[in-house]
Amino acid sequence: MENANTATLAFEIGTEEIPAFDLHKATEQLRTLTGEALDAKRIPHGDVSVYSSPRRLIAVVGDVALRTEELTEVFRGPSAAIAFDDQGAPTKAAVGFARGKGLSVEDLTRRSVDGVDYVFATRHVASVEVDSMLPEVIEGVIESISWPKSCRWGTQSAFFSRPVRWLVALLGDKVVPVRFAGLEAGRLTWGHRFLAAGPWEVAHADQLLDVVRSAFVVPSEAEREQAIRAGVAAIEAETGSKAELPAKTLLEVTNLSEYPTPLKGTFDEEFLAVPEEIIVDAMLMHQRYFPLYDGQGKLTNSFVLVSNGDPACADTIVDGNERVVRARLSDAKFFYEEDLKRPLESYVEHLDEVVFQETLGTMRDKTDRIVALATHLAADASLDGDDSRDAARAALLAKADLVTNAVVEFTSVQGVMGSYYAAAAGETDQVARAIADHYRPRFSGDALPESTVGRIVAMADKLDTICGLFSVGQGPTGSSDPFALRRGAIGIVAMLQAGLPVSLEQAVDASLATYADAGIGFEREAVRRQVLDFFITRTSVMLRDEGVHADTIDAVLACDVVEPAIIIARARALEAARSQDPDTFADLATAFSRADNLRDASLGEEPDRSIMEASERALLEATDVAADAVRRALADDDYPAALASLAALRAPIDGFFAEVMVMADDDGVRTMRLRLLNRFAAIFKDVADFSKMAKSR
Amino acid sequence: MSQPLQAAPVAQAAKTQALPPTFQDVIMNLQRYWAEQGCVILQPYDNEVGAGTNAPATTLRSLGPDTWRTAYVQGCRRPTDGRYGENPNRTQFYYQFQVLMKPSPDNIQDLYLGSLRAIGIDVEAHDVRFVEDDWESPTLGAWGLGWEVWIDGMEVTQFTYFQQVGGFECSPVPVEIAYGLERLTMYIQGVDSMFDIVWSRGSDGVTFTYGDVYLENERQYSKFNFEVADTEFLFREFNEREAECMRTLEAGLPLPAYDSVLKCCHAFNLLDARGVISATERMAYILRVRTLAKACCASYMEHVVGVDPETGEPKRSLEGEE
Repeated sequence: MENANTATLAFEIGTEEIPAFDLHKATEQLRTLTGEALDAKRIPHGDVSVYSSPRRLIAVVGDVALRTEELTEVFRGPSAAIAFDDQGAPTKAAVGFARGKGLSVEDLTRRSVDGVDYVFATRHVASVEVDSMLPEVIEGVIESISWPKSCRWGTQSAFFSRPVRWLVALLGDKVVPVRFAGLEAGRLTWGHRFLAAGPWEVAHADQLLDVVRSAFVVPSEAEREQAIRAGVAAIEAETGSKAELPAKTLLEVTNLSEYPTPLKGTFDEEFLAVPEEIIVDAMLMHQRYFPLYDGQGKLTNSFVLVSNGDPACADTIVDGNERVVRARLSDAKFFYEEDLKRPLESYVEHLDEVVFQETLGTMRDKTDRIVALATHLAADASLDGDDSRDAARAALLAKADLVTNAVVEFTSVQGVMGSYYAAAAGETDQVARAIADHYRPRFSGDALPESTVGRIVAMADKLDTICGLFSVGQGPTGSSDPFALRRGAIGIVAMLQAGLPVSLEQAVDASLATYADAGIGFEREAVRRQVLDFFITRTSVMLRDEGVHADTIDAVLACDVVEPAIIIARARALEAARSQDPDTFADLATAFSRADNLRDASLGEEPDRSIMEASERALLEATDVAADAVRRALADDDYPAALASLAALRAPIDGFFAEVMVMADDDGVRTMRLRLLNRFAAIFKDVADFSKMAKSR
Repeated sequence: MSQPLQAAPVAQAAKTQALPPTFQDVIMNLQRYWAEQGCVILQPYDNEVGAGTNAPATTLRSLGPDTWRTAYVQGCRRPTDGRYGENPNRTQFYYQFQVLMKPSPDNIQDLYLGSLRAIGIDVEAHDVRFVEDDWESPTLGAWGLGWEVWIDGMEVTQFTYFQQVGGFECSPVPVEIAYGLERLTMYIQGVDSMFDIVWSRGSDGVTFTYGDVYLENERQYSKFNFEVADTEFLFREFNEREAECMRTLEAGLPLPAYDSVLKCCHAFNLLDARGVISATERMAYILRVRTLAKACCASYMEHVVGVDPETGEPKRSLEGEE
């Protein structure tokens, strides 16, 4: 592939261990940045391949031209008539044009195009040796990688994810003297820290990857992941079990090793008495091990660890890891058993040791508010006595596990542990389940709490957080949403949409009342509006995400609906109606918009029937029929029927506008027509503002 | 256990027995090793601290342009972690081995791995990993980037490049290495309880364990921290130490002023263990400590480093500056 005019460019940024997730993102940036930097200097090149390991980022670019191409550019300027004055002297226009191209006016030439004389500027860009440009190009790439967090080190002022310790940069067999952070690139690279440290010499850019590979470094995330998956599959086959490989942990493990070796470890079976969630948390979150499950999906006492050490020392490494797991699980077992010595309810009072939010008090305060709010919601949903009691009880206990030993130590098991402790303390199944479920849905698309009781507690908890933060002026701004209020709102909307029979508006009032009662000072009406608007915005975004048009949503929202479930049902129905019968709705929107523009509320809606013509009478009759039908449909919550009734007005309104001129000279006739239009437009008011969907708006 | 212990050089002790190094071997070997890297081997700071980082040799000396290298053992007090000596992994007092080098040497990771070899860990035969773990201390207005170091899955060291201390940029950048001595020694000796660590072993075989040395301390201090410490006295101590700190700073003496910050921290930690600080008060106390700590750093910048803490400009023209 390579010929005398091109060469391979390879460079490596050698670093101390880059954080796993940052490395993943930086690798993709490296590809784009390298290509763009070469293009910006007009350096012809082939494909850019990128590689990485925790201690290096590598880019290899094929077929990099050794010289840039010579370039002649011709630009057409003003016409000769403008470029030169009567005496034939160049005008300001000509001088400016020449200067803009980096030439003087004498360099301009004249040429005729289609019979008109123009001035032209011709610029030559000479061919340049690429190797002289490359240091700057590569330095720019290194500096342009953006990191979530970066640091300085030693006496250097440069920033990078972690300290950079070596640079390799080769064009063919020649070193490119890239400089960064006090280093100058050479041809020496370093291998796996313990298996083949190096340094190793790289003779030619084409050999960089081979040298790195031979030094026990698998230089690509995909290859390492493949190696890990293969190793895990072998262990699965050997043990007849199945590993859980969550994407996040897998990526982390993949980027925590240069030469991964999956190994099997075990722990004592006695620990299986501890709730599975704790064991899994200890393994996945703390140790980055993959738990193994048996054929029935039950957790086993084996796990997969991914070592970066010497495979020959596997026994030592497994033994060490097993000791760590043993210590952790002993702790977990101890904590779990300690926690069980007291009923879950006894932990509630200790929630005053956990701050919810500085101004809003502790989790104990929050618990009181959630109980009040859940009680309100249970009444609003007309739950029966048992369910209603369960909702209040689950709300009281929902946060209690936050101060148990097990959750303090293994935070990801919050809720789940509360559920175990609740069951052990003799709470009902529904209460226990609701405690575990009340954090749901934890992300978009997550399962909702199973029972209505669970949903009520989940809504109370989330809404309490939203109302509280808004009341102290800490609603989300831009990308900053530390209390995950958006996610909370989306969760509530999802539950309402799934049929939780409660009013958001009333719940917001009930929640704000709990804060006002607690003495938190805020502008009640303003915060109420902010919270409702916040939900409306979340609901709109969810609708947009599922493909509903913005003008459909606007039309629905113009009718002052605030309940997310109603907004969603209406927007979907209107969107469906519009897509089924686009002509009718487009036409009706235009007609409504016209009527709406002419509307004069001062005239009322009682037109003088005695002076009506046929088209007017037809519109009046159709309007009255539709008004009645819309009223009934809305009373029955049958929004599609209301839309269908409105759609029936298309012919009469079109007929009306075709036949008559509204602004007639005769006062009586004009008034009659305006009143008729008022009457017509009024029916839409509770359904949707069709003018939002009019093209000519 | 009253026989005199023979003072044998560490290397010799390790050679004569195939037994793993004792707790004090680990300490002495680390001190020897880091001394060879040019560190000033300090003795533990004689004031209560929650971590080796809080000793002035790290906190204050991280500031300013001068080269600084130190290593020291530091006893750390965390009253709320007391478990009456009943938990094998958790105590209200434990030891860190702290290394601070400013500017951070280019080969610092290799130097660190060398220190593991120096205490008998064959790093080539284990899985030693640097796992992202950034550090932030709101009370010190400090943060840095680095890792926790794992050996076969066990976290044994914190490794941090300090970026800011007391709200001031660190330039040059110091690197801090903090070893958990008990955890490291448990690993080396293969014991599952901290109290089973062999602290010393005489040539005649007389052996002291960590439990021999500290178990009674854990029992007594846990009881004191959680049940006995006089809270009124501690509240008063906090307030008076706070005032003393400000007064000392007005006299332009950041080093003794910083002692009062440490006293405030410890009083606060004890009050916390006594369970008398409510959640809302808690934040207020932390803010008060932060204010003091930052003021000490600012005073250190002004009086020791010679930089105006407001502008960052040199306070006086320094010799040799162009």
